[in-house]
Amino acid sequence: MNNAFLSIESHPDSLIVNVKGQWIFDEVLALEEAVAGVLPEPGQKVTFKCAGLDNIDIAGAWVLYDCTEQLSVLEIESELVGFKAAHFKFLQHIIDVAAIREYEEPDSEPEPRHLIREKVELFGGAMSTHIEDLGAIARSILDGVRRPSLIIIGETIKQVYYTGVQAIPVVVVITFLIGIVTAHQAAGQLEKFGATVLVVDLVSISITREMGVLLAAVMVAGRSGSAFAASLGVMKLNEEVDAMRVLGLNPNQMLVIPRILGLVIALPVLTIFADIAGIAGGALIAVGSLGISGLQFVERVAFSTDLSDFYVGLVKAPVFALLIAMIGTLRGMQVRFSAEELGLKTTMAVVQSIFMIIVADALFATLFTRMGI
Amino acid sequence: MMETVIEVRDLVNSFGDQVVHDGLCLDVRRDEILGVVGGSGSGKSVLLRSILGLQKPKSGTITVLGQKIEYHQPGPSRCWGVLFQAGALLSGLTVQQNVELPIALHSDMPVETRHELASLKLLMVGLSLSVADKYPSELSGGMKKRVSLARALALEPKILFLDEPTAGLDPIGATAFDELITYLQGNLDLTVVMITHDVDSLFNTCHRIAVLVDGKVKIGTVEEILQSDHPWIKSYFGVPRAQRARLAI
Ligand SMILES: Nc1ncnc2c1ncn2[C@@H]1O[C@H](COP(=O)(O)OP(=O)(O)OP(=O)(O)O)[C@@H](O)[C@H]1O
Ligand SMILES: [Mg+2]
Repeated sequence: MNNAFLSIESHPDSLIVNVKGQWIFDEVLALEEAVAGVLPEPGQKVTFKCAGLDNIDIAGAWVLYDCTEQLSVLEIESELVGFKAAHFKFLQHIIDVAAIREYEEPDSEPEPRHLIREKVELFGGAMSTHIEDLGAIARSILDGVRRPSLIIIGETIKQVYYTGVQAIPVVVVITFLIGIVTAHQAAGQLEKFGATVLVVDLVSISITREMGVLLAAVMVAGRSGSAFAASLGVMKLNEEVDAMRVLGLNPNQMLVIPRILGLVIALPVLTIFADIAGIAGGALIAVGSLGISGLQFVERVAFSTDLSDFYVGLVKAPVFALLIAMIGTLRGMQVRFSAEELGLKTTMAVVQSIFMIIVADALFATLFTRMGI
Repeated sequence: MMETVIEVRDLVNSFGDQVVHDGLCLDVRRDEILGVVGGSGSGKSVLLRSILGLQKPKSGTITVLGQKIEYHQPGPSRCWGVLFQAGALLSGLTVQQNVELPIALHSDMPVETRHELASLKLLMVGLSLSVADKYPSELSGGMKKRVSLARALALEPKILFLDEPTAGLDPIGATAFDELITYLQGNLDLTVVMITHDVDSLFNTCHRIAVLVDGKVKIGTVEEILQSDHPWIKSYFGVPRAQRARLAI
């Protein structure tokens, strides 16, 4: 065999491998392939002649070292000659040190007692697959680094989880309570006219058109707008953002886009949850204390509330999400020097995004009225 | 004629009316360890940030390995490694992932090879593999520095930038760090630019010293710098700590 890195001469009792060319980091893939072609017969002694090496670095030396290690596992003798010793000694040294250290480290898992042994093993097995799964996920995210689109998708899913899934309980509870409050207030007024049943109309229309999306957006601005500003701000202060640039990564691509995308996906979904919870709150009061039957309530909601009311609420969600995410990430990226500035920018992110949500909502209201929706 | 790998020409940096660099010129030669010293606020970190394209200079040009550096544009990131003053490990990734990241970004290696090379780098900087799955927040300051050095070395860089690598390390750790740098530099084709306040590092490790005074650079071997009659340089190397280090060599 003969290629850019190795040429192999086979003699009856020895295999001479001439190592040559560029044994460097950039060639590691090709080197590993080349080394896999070193296949001595049993009883042959392998000699690596390294005089023809043009260049070698740690990665290249490691491939060579690994090859001799594997041969020694197969109980085949090998030696290196004409090698600039420094790297090899260096590697040997590192690996010896590692071996010593691992030997010295006390075994972290104590021997399980016989009685509980089975349970411990079962638990351990379950845990280790768990950890392996987690590792595989992390690995796949890391793999995605090379193809930016993939890592962006991974990060975006994470953000949907943090900003959306984790916000469901609080949004549901808040809108449920607001549904109750609205129903109570409306009932107080409408009972005077004997039009108690209109409470249902009022609750379902106000929640779907306005309150659901608005409450969800304000909650998200408080939770995630501040989280965006704070986490990006800390990354700026830690020089993490600089480190990314130096490594050749674009921080905007890696940090800002996934947050914006994630929130644009999460907020509409949260809005649907909010609408359902708000109407459920209204239903609790209507059925529980206003004497409206469950069937009547459902009929009334279907009669009074168009799908268009629901859509009017829903189309606002991505716009609000965009506002929150852009203001939050922008403020975070503006953090430059101190922890004080971090606090200031985080506050600004929340206040400004809630302000902008309400301004946008007012614009939407005017627009929809003009359009007659 | 020695090859220069970094060329800084007429660099001017100022913030408001405070001029930090005033027509600074600097040549870094191939395969040397250059120590950069200067008082606090003299602009060492700003110089480093300018060279890395993280800071927009008022004027002047910077060339690294023949490539002109532009603000916030991808530089020769394949060829340099940086140890930031505070480590700057990515907090969302584990130690192992932090070291693998540059390899993943700049090569097509299969996962196992990448993993083993990253482990090798961790061992090389004197860490045990038991830290590999920890997050940066779980490490001590000195360990963070080491991980950060492992990350900087991950791609076998041609140039290594170190911003105060031994600050905050105990003297034994600092000496080991210096020895590691010397060892690496001696065995690899490596140029090191090291900002430091550690006089021991300067005398024992660096081939040349660049002193930042009056917005410019005075550069030379240790002996040449000690001969200088600039008042700041005289007082810097005249303080007892520095004299002790001088006696030690
Ligand atoms: N972004 C900035 N805006 C305003 N002034 C700045 C900025 N960055 C640095 N400076 C100023 O530039 C000067 C040089 O800062 P630099 O961080 O380079 O100092 P240094 O030499 O690294 O000091 P140290 O040894 O303390 O790290 C300081 O006076 C600092 O106040
Ligand atoms: Mg500094």
